Amino acid sequence: MVYLAYAVFLTGTVARLIKIFREPRNPSTLQIYPERRPKWLWALHDTFLLPTVRRHKPLLWVFLMFFHVAFLLLIIGHLELLAEFKIFQVIPHEVFLGRGFVGLILSLCLLFFLFRRFKSPVRELSVPEDYYLLILLFLTVIFGSEMDWARRWYGYGELTVSDYRAYLSSIFLLKPAVPDTMMFAGHSFMMVLHVFFANLFIMFFPFSNLMHSILSLPMNKLRRG
Amino acid sequence: MDEKTRNDLLKLFQGKLNQAMRFYLETCTRCGVCTEACHVYASMPQVRYIAAYRAEIVRRIYKKYFKGQGKAWPSVGESKELGEMALQELYDAAYSCTGCRRCMVYCPFGIDTQMIMSIAKLLLIGAHTEPEILTMLADMSIEKGRSLDLFKEGFLVGIKNLEAEVVRKWRLEAGETAIPVDVEGANLLYVALAGAHSIIPAAAVFNAARENWTLSFFEAVNFGAFVGDPAKTKLILERIINEAKRLKVKEVCICECGTAYRVMKHLAGKQPFTVSSITEVHARYIREGRIKLDKTKFTDPVTYHHPCQIARNGGVLEEPLTILRQLTNDFRDMSPEPKYNWCCGGGGGLVALGEDTLDFRMKSSTVKVDQVKKTGAKILATACENCHTQLSNLNDRYQMGVEVKFLTSMVADALVR
Repeated sequence: MVYLAYAVFLTGTVARLIKIFREPRNPSTLQIYPERRPKWLWALHDTFLLPTVRRHKPLLWVFLMFFHVAFLLLIIGHLELLAEFKIFQVIPHEVFLGRGFVGLILSLCLLFFLFRRFKSPVRELSVPEDYYLLILLFLTVIFGSEMDWARRWYGYGELTVSDYRAYLSSIFLLKPAVPDTMMFAGHSFMMVLHVFFANLFIMFFPFSNLMHSILSLPMNKLRRG
Repeated sequence: MDEKTRNDLLKLFQGKLNQAMRFYLETCTRCGVCTEACHVYASMPQVRYIAAYRAEIVRRIYKKYFKGQGKAWPSVGESKELGEMALQELYDAAYSCTGCRRCMVYCPFGIDTQMIMSIAKLLLIGAHTEPEILTMLADMSIEKGRSLDLFKEGFLVGIKNLEAEVVRKWRLEAGETAIPVDVEGANLLYVALAGAHSIIPAAAVFNAARENWTLSFFEAVNFGAFVGDPAKTKLILERIINEAKRLKVKEVCICECGTAYRVMKHLAGKQPFTVSSITEVHARYIREGRIKLDKTKFTDPVTYHHPCQIARNGGVLEEPLTILRQLTNDFRDMSPEPKYNWCCGGGGGLVALGEDTLDFRMKSSTVKVDQVKKTGAKILATACENCHTQLSNLNDRYQMGVEVKFLTSMVADALVR
């Protein structure tokens, strides 16, 4: 299933991006004034610092910033399971980063995003896709984090970073093998569910509004001219 | 709706799908940051007036017919079939949106609701359910471009009758023409609206600045853009481009009309002439010392409404302030950040629809009324015909106690030798 999920994710995303970027450009500018230069730098600023949200919905902005930074840190954490990157060890740390708090922050942010969708007017704006994505990601994060919390906070020692690393590397090297320790550990079901929900999530990626992660920058560039 | 009509409409939809449109239709996360951006929502808080909700009406049809998600799992994005009911929803969304693009300032991605609404407007034209009056007005403009000779004579007589009025505002030397028409090699082609108020003050200021100018045969307003018909928008635009090329002018100056300015500025493409709004031209005359204004002419406090298509969407932000600083000592800024200025509530063809939309226009613009009242100004200046009409209507309905004036006519009235 992991391979199927990645195949769908990669081909789907690439196919959709090709389709979108092959369309002709808009014949006129879509800029909003006043203009600030350099335009590309302001487009980056708008994309990564979300100034419009900070101004109009400051609480949402705090959660959004925490969420996106934590998400990035978790991606780094997973990359570090594959191999050791010197660049990430500029600040020396154990894998995973953040002593379990990154996952906690992410979970809380997701709950905030989910519960704000239960309230009008965001409730009326939302479609099922928005809920599915938040729930899928929450489940992925909560099971993944529980493994981390167990090790970090409760001294659970049956599964170690090297077990996770062996498993992820085997998948990456196209020789999938589940280490015995993982297969028979008490927390194996968490691993299974974590991977399962993650697969669903990334398979949905190319067909959902998650594409904003890629399209946000070119769109902000359009607004900046 | 029969199959053929639907297919024809979907072809129109497909034609609108360029790169930017795909970005806008793929991306919305329905975060709701745009909720408070729309003046209609701010005046009448109903979910259907939130920018994201309007856009979602078009997006649901997009998902159904142009996206795998809508075919494989329609319920997840609530994709929707294009039918009579959908057309009604599209009408309500498109003709309650003034295309002011204030929501674009709020959206973290910068989604352009006006552009998404252009799909709705085009589908309505395809289904012959658009406001007919706008199409009729657009057709009239196009016809005028085709048979210029037929109305030329009448136009010239009409213009002659206005000349005395122009001279009353600015006395000319002997032998000079108050309103030059069809002058080949002029520096500036002025494109006015069909109305003396759009021609007389502008002519007086051009003459005072000793500009080598000529008046266009055509009116600036582009009803094709209001009704959202790209082909007609282009035909109406081309009449003016062709005239400018024929007369070999260096600059085309658009009168106080937001849509006309934005369409000409952004859609004309690369041309041998530059495009300016009359506000920019007047500010230039002041900076160059070509005209001088009497500050004592207007003693009441003045405020200025930035027309959306000229300011937020056209970039003319500083120029009106340059002019106002020469016109009054008591300027009250209603919106220190013009990109956040509230729309007057009359754009997108709503004012052109007249009485039909009056009630909606009045109810949907109470935030504008509050904004104006807060300044305490007695003169409300603006530089757009639509805004002027809408603000005058608001003034009558809500007893705002202001005098709504065109910036150009204030400049003309304050001219000094």
